[in-house]
Amino acid sequence: MYGAGVAFQPTSSARGSSKEKKRRDEDDEEEEDDNEGKGTDAWERAYADERSWEDLQEDESGLLRPIDTKTLVHAQYRKRLLLRSSTGGSVASRIQKGLIRYLYIVIDLSRAASETDYRPSRMAVVAKQAEAFIREFFDQNPLSHVGLVTMKDGLAHRLTEIGGSPEVQIKALMGKLECCGEASLQNALELVHGYLSQIPSYGHREVLILSSALTTCDPGDVMETVQRCKKAKIRCSVIGLSAEVFICKHLCEETGGTYTVALNESHFKELLLEHAPPPPAIAEYAAANLIKMGFPQRGAEGVVSICSCHKEAKVGGGYTCPRCKVRVCELPTECRTCGLTLVSSPHLARSYHHLFPVAPFDEVSPHGRPGQRLPTTCFGCQQSFVGQGGAQPSLRTSCPKCNQFFCIDCDIYIHESLHNCPGCESQRNSSV
Amino acid sequence: MKLEVEGLTVYFPYESIYPEQVEYMRELKRALDAGGHALLEMPTGTGKTAALLSLIVSYSIHKSFKFKLLYCTRTVHEMEKTLAELRLLASHLPTPTSLLALGLSSRKNLCVNPHVLSAQSRDSVDAACRRLTASWVRSLAHDNPQVPTCPFFESYDRAASAGPDTLLLPPGVYTLGDLRSFGRSKGWCPYFLARQMIRYANVVVYSYQYLLDPKVATIISKEMQKECVVVFDEAHNIDNVCIEALSVSIRKQTLEGATRNLTQMSQEIERLKATDAGRLRAEYNRLVDGLAQRGNLAITDAWLGNPALPDDILKEAVPGNIRRAEHFLSVLRRLVQYLKSRLLTEKVETENPVNFCAAINSQAGIDQKMLKFCYDRLHSLMLTLEITNTDEFMHIQTVCDFATLVSTYARGFSIIIEPYDERMPTIPDPVLQLSCHDASLAIKPVFDRFQSVIITSGTLSPIDLYPRLLNFSPVISRSFTMSLTRDCICPMVLTRGSDQLPVSTKFDMRSDPGVVRNYGRLLLEMVAAVPDGIVCFFVSYSYMDGIVNSWNEMGILQDVMQHKLVFIETQDVVETTLALDNYRKACDCGRGAVFFSVARGKVAEGIDFDRHYGRLVIMFGVPFQYTLSRILLARLEYLRETFQIKEGDFLTFDALRQAAQCVGRVIRSKADYGMMIFADKRYSRHDKRSKLPGWILSHLHDAHLNLSTDMALHIAREFLRRMAQPYDKTGCGSKKTLLSEEDVMKMSEGAMDTY
Repeated sequence: MYGAGVAFQPTSSARGSSKEKKRRDEDDEEEEDDNEGKGTDAWERAYADERSWEDLQEDESGLLRPIDTKTLVHAQYRKRLLLRSSTGGSVASRIQKGLIRYLYIVIDLSRAASETDYRPSRMAVVAKQAEAFIREFFDQNPLSHVGLVTMKDGLAHRLTEIGGSPEVQIKALMGKLECCGEASLQNALELVHGYLSQIPSYGHREVLILSSALTTCDPGDVMETVQRCKKAKIRCSVIGLSAEVFICKHLCEETGGTYTVALNESHFKELLLEHAPPPPAIAEYAAANLIKMGFPQRGAEGVVSICSCHKEAKVGGGYTCPRCKVRVCELPTECRTCGLTLVSSPHLARSYHHLFPVAPFDEVSPHGRPGQRLPTTCFGCQQSFVGQGGAQPSLRTSCPKCNQFFCIDCDIYIHESLHNCPGCESQRNSSV
Repeated sequence: MKLEVEGLTVYFPYESIYPEQVEYMRELKRALDAGGHALLEMPTGTGKTAALLSLIVSYSIHKSFKFKLLYCTRTVHEMEKTLAELRLLASHLPTPTSLLALGLSSRKNLCVNPHVLSAQSRDSVDAACRRLTASWVRSLAHDNPQVPTCPFFESYDRAASAGPDTLLLPPGVYTLGDLRSFGRSKGWCPYFLARQMIRYANVVVYSYQYLLDPKVATIISKEMQKECVVVFDEAHNIDNVCIEALSVSIRKQTLEGATRNLTQMSQEIERLKATDAGRLRAEYNRLVDGLAQRGNLAITDAWLGNPALPDDILKEAVPGNIRRAEHFLSVLRRLVQYLKSRLLTEKVETENPVNFCAAINSQAGIDQKMLKFCYDRLHSLMLTLEITNTDEFMHIQTVCDFATLVSTYARGFSIIIEPYDERMPTIPDPVLQLSCHDASLAIKPVFDRFQSVIITSGTLSPIDLYPRLLNFSPVISRSFTMSLTRDCICPMVLTRGSDQLPVSTKFDMRSDPGVVRNYGRLLLEMVAAVPDGIVCFFVSYSYMDGIVNSWNEMGILQDVMQHKLVFIETQDVVETTLALDNYRKACDCGRGAVFFSVARGKVAEGIDFDRHYGRLVIMFGVPFQYTLSRILLARLEYLRETFQIKEGDFLTFDALRQAAQCVGRVIRSKADYGMMIFADKRYSRHDKRSKLPGWILSHLHDAHLNLSTDMALHIAREFLRRMAQPYDKTGCGSKKTLLSEEDVMKMSEGAMDTY
C-alpha cells in the first residue's frame, strides 16, 4: 500500500521482538565499554552495566526466573491496543483527531538530568529517545511541526524554531547536551505559550515535557501559568523519569494531557512513543475548518535554482511552490515567501489512517472452540502457528471483519505500521 | 447501600465498602449485643468513622432510638469531620427516621455574641458570657435596663421556658457552624441551645474532656442514661488524657495570684457584710443543709463540678469550720502560705498524698475533710459574692482543685516538688506537681456508667496493654489490617549510614558527629529522590535544635535547600501554623519542602500530611520520653507495683506508639502512597519492632529491616516509580478491596455455607 509501511519495518520489528533488540543494545554497550571503560575490571563491568539481575523476577514460590520478555511485550501491546480503541479511534464512534499538530518538546537539562540511574545518564537517554520519537512523530504525523525547548539554570531556552523537518531538530538537540542548575516549569510554559499562541486556529497546540527534575524553581505563581495554558488550549503532557510530582499531575489534568512516569529505559521509550499518534481533538475546539494547501512539484534534475530555506544555489532536487514558484528543499513545510502549507499527497494519505484505524483483533485461544477447525498457518506471513518440536502453540488473533487468523507478530505489524488488514483488503479485491 | 451484618440492616452512605469495614462492623455489633466494652484497631484511611457511625446509628434505629451515641473526638476539626460524615449517612437513612445529631463545644466555638467573642482565650470568653448571663446579672437587668445582657440568651430563654420538653431544634445533623447559623437566624444562643438539646439528641459529638475530666463531666454528661454507647475515636493517647485530667501543677505565679484573689474576696466579703449581710447568712444556712442542692442552680450559673467525683461528698454536709466565709478564707490563706513554703525547697522532693495531707494538718492545721471540701466551698462562695469575671480567679481555683484532689485519693498520685527544671538547673523555677499515675481513675466512672464503651484508633498496638492500663475488660479486642490493591506503604528500617556505621539517637551516640552527618546524608539523598513533601520527626525540641544547628555548620542544610525548602515546627502555635501553610504552598507549586517536626508535638498529633504533602516521613531516632523526669519515674514505679507492667515495656510501648503515630500521618486513604523510614538501629530489634501496629508490620519486609542509606535510596526510587504507574482501584479476583452490595451479599451467603 503505502511506502511508509516498509520504511517503518525496522522500528516495528524492534518493538515486536524486543529481546533481540535488547541483546543488540547490550552488545553495543559492551563495545562502548571496551572502547572507553578501561578503568573498570571486567567482572565489575559485568554487574555494573548489564544489570542482569533486573531480568530476573521472583515467582510465587520464591524461585528466581528470567522474565519472559516476549509474552510480556505481547500482553502489553494487546492492552495498549484495546485501551486505544476504547478511548477513541474506533470506527463506530468517529472521534475527531487533530492531525495538524504543533508540538513543543521541552527537555529538562537541569542538575537532576545528570543523575545516572538511567545509563549512562538521564540526559543521554532522554536525548536518544527524543531523537527516535521525533522521527516516529514525523512518520505518523507528516503534517505536523515540532520545536525544542530546554530548561536549565532556572531558565527556558528555545533550541529550535517550530518546523517540519526532523533532521534540523535532531541536529540541534544533539549539539546542546549539558546540564546544570534548576528547572523552571513556569518559565518553560510561559515561553511555549508565547510561541504557540501565534499558531493558526486549525493547528493543535501541544507541549510534551520530559522532566527529570523533581522540583521546579519558579519566579511567580505557576498555577496562574497553568490556567493560562488551559485558556490557550495548549495540551500539556509530562513524562517523568523518577517519580510523580504533584504540579505536573495538576498541569496535565487541567490541560487534558497525560502524565506518566517511566520505570526504566524501555518503558520510557514506550511512553514517549505513545505520544506519536494524534490525540483526540478537544471537542469545543474541533470546528471543521478548510485549510489552503499546496502540492508542489518535484524540480527537474540538473536545474540550478536558489533555495529559499538555505539561501543558496542548489542543483537538482527540491520542490517548487505552486503559488509563488519558489524552491524548497523538503516537504512538508510552509512556503517562506507566500506562507502556503506545502505537502505531498502521500503525507495526507498517511495521516488518514488515524481516522480509520484497523479494528483490534480478537484473541483466540490456541485450542479453539470444540468442533471448529482452525487454520494452522498465519494469514499474513504463512508461518505455522504450531511451534517447532510440539512447543506450546503461540498466541493468535482473528480479524472481526474477515475472520482471518494472524500470528501476534503480524497483528502488531498490521496495527502499528500497515494500518490495513490484508484479509479485508484481499476480500474486497475479489468481490469487486 | 444497604447491607446485612448478622441480621442487622446497616445503612452505609457509600456505593461500595471495604472488606475490613464489614469485618469491623461485625465485631462492633457483637460488642453491642454483648453490652460490653470493645477495643478495635483499624488503620487510618479505611473509613473507620463511616463504619462506626453507620453501624451504631443503624443499630439504634433497629432498637428504635433507645440509646444515645456519645462520640468523643480529640479536636474540633475531627468533630466537624465526624459530623460531616454523619450528615452524609443521615441522607441515606430511610425517610421516616428523625435523627438529631449535634456537636457540642466550648462557648468560644459556639458563641455568636460579637461582644463576647472579642475576648481572646477560652476562659475569658466563658467569663464574658457569665458577665452577661449570670442569674443575678439578669435579675439586676430586670429592674434596671441599663445593665447589659445577652440578647441571644434572653430570647433562647424565652423559647425554652415555653415548656420543658419543647423540641427547639428540628431533627437533622448540626455541625458547630450549623448551630451558629441556626442560632443567628433564630436569635437564640447556640451554646445553651446545644447544652439543652443533648438531652434529646440521638448522637452527640464532643470532646474527650466532657466525659473524662470529672469537673466538666458532672455537669455535661451526668444526665446520660446507662444504655449510651460511648466511642472514643483516635484513642491511642487516652491514658495520657485521663492522667492530665486529674493532674495539677502549681507554680509561684499561681500562688501569688491566689493571694491576690483572696485579698479581693475578703474585701468583697467586708463590703457585703456592710450592705447585704442576709446573703451571707443564707449561704451559711444552705451549707448547713449540705451541698446536695446544687442541681437547682440556673443553667448559666453552673460551674465546673467537683474534680474528685465520689457521690458521698455531695451528701455530706460542709464541715463547720469552713462554713463561714471569713473562716474559709483564712483556711485558704493558710493553705497558700503552706504551699509557698514548700516551694522554697532547694532539692527535689517526692511525697505521697497521705503524707502530704498529714503534713498540712500538722503545720497549717487544715484537716483532710476541710481540704476535700475546698473546691465546692469556693464555688459556693464565689456564687454568693456574685463574681462573674471567673477568668481572673483561675489561680485560687487551681489551688482548691489541688486541695480536693490530694485529700480525696490516697493511691495513684504523688506530689513532686522541683526547685528548677532538670534541663536548665541555673534558672530557679519551682513547681509543685500533683501527678496522677493511674489512667483508670478518670475513666473508671465512664466504664461503670455506660453499657458499651468503644475505644478505637489507627494505632492501639500492643492491643493487650490498653485493658491493663485502663483497668477494664473488653469483650472484643481486635486489630484489623488494611486490604490494599497495591503495596502503597513502604516502611523501612535504616540502621546504618552510607559509611556503614550504625545510627541511633541513643544518649551516648546522639551527639557523635558521625551519626549527625549520617542522618544529614540520609536527608540529603532523600530530598533529591523524593518529590514534593517530606516530613522529618525528631525525638525532642532540644535534639532538633542541636542537629539542625550542626547540619547548618556542616553545610548539609544549604545542600538540602537546593532541592527543597525547609520549615521547622516551633513551640509557638502561630509560627508553626504559618510554617505549615507555607510548607503546603511549596508542595503545591512544585518547589518541594521538608518539614522538621517533633514527635509528641502538636504537628505529630493533629496534622495530616496526606498525598503530595507527605511522600516520605523520616523518624530520626526512637521517641522515648524524657526518662529522668520525676513524674515519669513515679508513674513507672506505680505501674510496676499496681499493674505489673515492666518499666522497659511501658517505655518501649509509649515510644513506639508515638513513632507509629508520626509515620501514620502520611497515609490517610487507600489511594494515597507514602514511605516511612525508621532511622535508628534500635528499630531492627525484635522487641521494639514488634510493638508497631500490624498494618505497618505487614508491609515491613525482611529485606527492609537492616538498610544503609544507599540501599534505602534505591528502594525509595523503585517504590516511587512503581507507585506513579496507573492502577486499578477496585482490585480483582479474590483480592477484591472494594465491595459492592452484591459482593457483600455473596460474602455473607458464603459465610452461611461454611457454618
